[in-house]
Amino acid sequence: MKRNNGQLAITIVSLFLGIILAIQFKTVNKTVGEGVLPTQRAQQLALELKKTQEERDTLIKALDEVEAKIKAYERGEVDNNIYAENLYKDLEKYRMLAGYVDLEGPGIILEIHDPPADVQFGIEYSIVDDLDLILQTISVLNAAEAEAISINDQRYTTFTEIEKAGDHIEVNGVSISSPIVIKAIGNSNTLESALALKRGIVHTLEYYDYTVNLVQDTNVKIPKYRKLKEFIYAKPVEEDN
Amino acid sequence: MNKTKKPNLIILIFSLLLGIFMAGQLKQNIPILAPVTLRSIQTSKNEINSVKEEIEDLKSLTFKRNEQLKILESIASGDENIINILNEELKNSKIAAGFEKVEGPGIIIKMEDNLSEGAFGQEYDLDLIHDIDVLRIINDLRGAGAEAIDINGQRVLAISEIKCGGPIIRVNGRSVGAPFYISAIGDPKLLNAAINAPNTYAYALRTIDQLNIETTVKDRIVIPGYNGRFNYLYSKPSKEGD
Repeated sequence: MKRNNGQLAITIVSLFLGIILAIQFKTVNKTVGEGVLPTQRAQQLALELKKTQEERDTLIKALDEVEAKIKAYERGEVDNNIYAENLYKDLEKYRMLAGYVDLEGPGIILEIHDPPADVQFGIEYSIVDDLDLILQTISVLNAAEAEAISINDQRYTTFTEIEKAGDHIEVNGVSISSPIVIKAIGNSNTLESALALKRGIVHTLEYYDYTVNLVQDTNVKIPKYRKLKEFIYAKPVEEDN
Repeated sequence: MNKTKKPNLIILIFSLLLGIFMAGQLKQNIPILAPVTLRSIQTSKNEINSVKEEIEDLKSLTFKRNEQLKILESIASGDENIINILNEELKNSKIAAGFEKVEGPGIIIKMEDNLSEGAFGQEYDLDLIHDIDVLRIINDLRGAGAEAIDINGQRVLAISEIKCGGPIIRVNGRSVGAPFYISAIGDPKLLNAAINAPNTYAYALRTIDQLNIETTVKDRIVIPGYNGRFNYLYSKPSKEGD
């Protein structure tokens, strides 16, 4: 009898233990997320990411050096020939439009931060889900005659796509996440009023609880496009009419 | 007596030990494990891939610039003339900037408002094509690697606005009315997929909003050069050494 009692107690305790363990694991899974993995792999990946980023930075530096050299050569040759100088000025203008020149000048900076967590009421959303608003912002800036636009330091060019990829967006194939910083060079008053007008972009963004910061700046810097776009399909039409 | 008491005691001790171990284990592991999920690993993998792609792009650009530099260096030896080089560069830059008429294989997309009487929804608004619809489709085409795009004869560049202007859409400062013909030069297969594959924006417009969107793949499309605003009053090239 006594022995039976002891076994019963142990059974009950074991049952409780099992239930508590199950609950504990469920809670951990819920708070941490499914598929918890060893940290080692993540650390490896972080290291690899850092390494590739460093490689990219050295490449950018090397590219800048070569481009500076080209510029120096062109300028050196151009200075003693008026015809060449005019040609060079023309060339620079087309290069600016194609996006292959770093630009600076007066303009505006628009920062879009995700809504703070306490106003989201459990439904998380981020500006990366609102591609429409980013595209519209750029279109509005162009309507206000912006001369150059960048999104998080990626030059907006004729070939720039803005694609959603998971929880971030890709611009020129480069990952970008919130906050989004859109810079534009042009008439800063026109640009600002085009965005800040009642029921305009800023108004819409604020309506959706994004934290928006729109400022004018006398010296906005917009970097050049660092991708080579080769025309494989499109060929210039020979004018022979 | 001795025989019955001992197992109980042993079980008690082991249970206590088990409890302590488990508590210790859980306490120790949670903070380290917390930020590492399958998702975050996937994210950093994607990031590494995109940086690697960037590196490839940079390498090809550096290669091209080096070739350019070599040509420039040959001026010193008298093989080349600066005027010829500049003219050649000017031609290339004009094509890259979108000022030249170009031709090539691609796709023509016809977008039309929903014209049927029993239109979708209560609001006519939903039956119409808006600037954002055109923007999204052009964005998708760019994602598919389009090399040149125009809307009803207006070349679309980085500085082209596509903006609602009441009953029409303004592109490059000119009015463009429905139906819209968007032509794009590029890999016809990719461009076609960007518009017709399920779950694309155009697919949603066609199936949900019931707008009339028709695509034609063509071997030869001609896209005119840009003729909109082109003046740099505010921007200056950055000074070296900044």
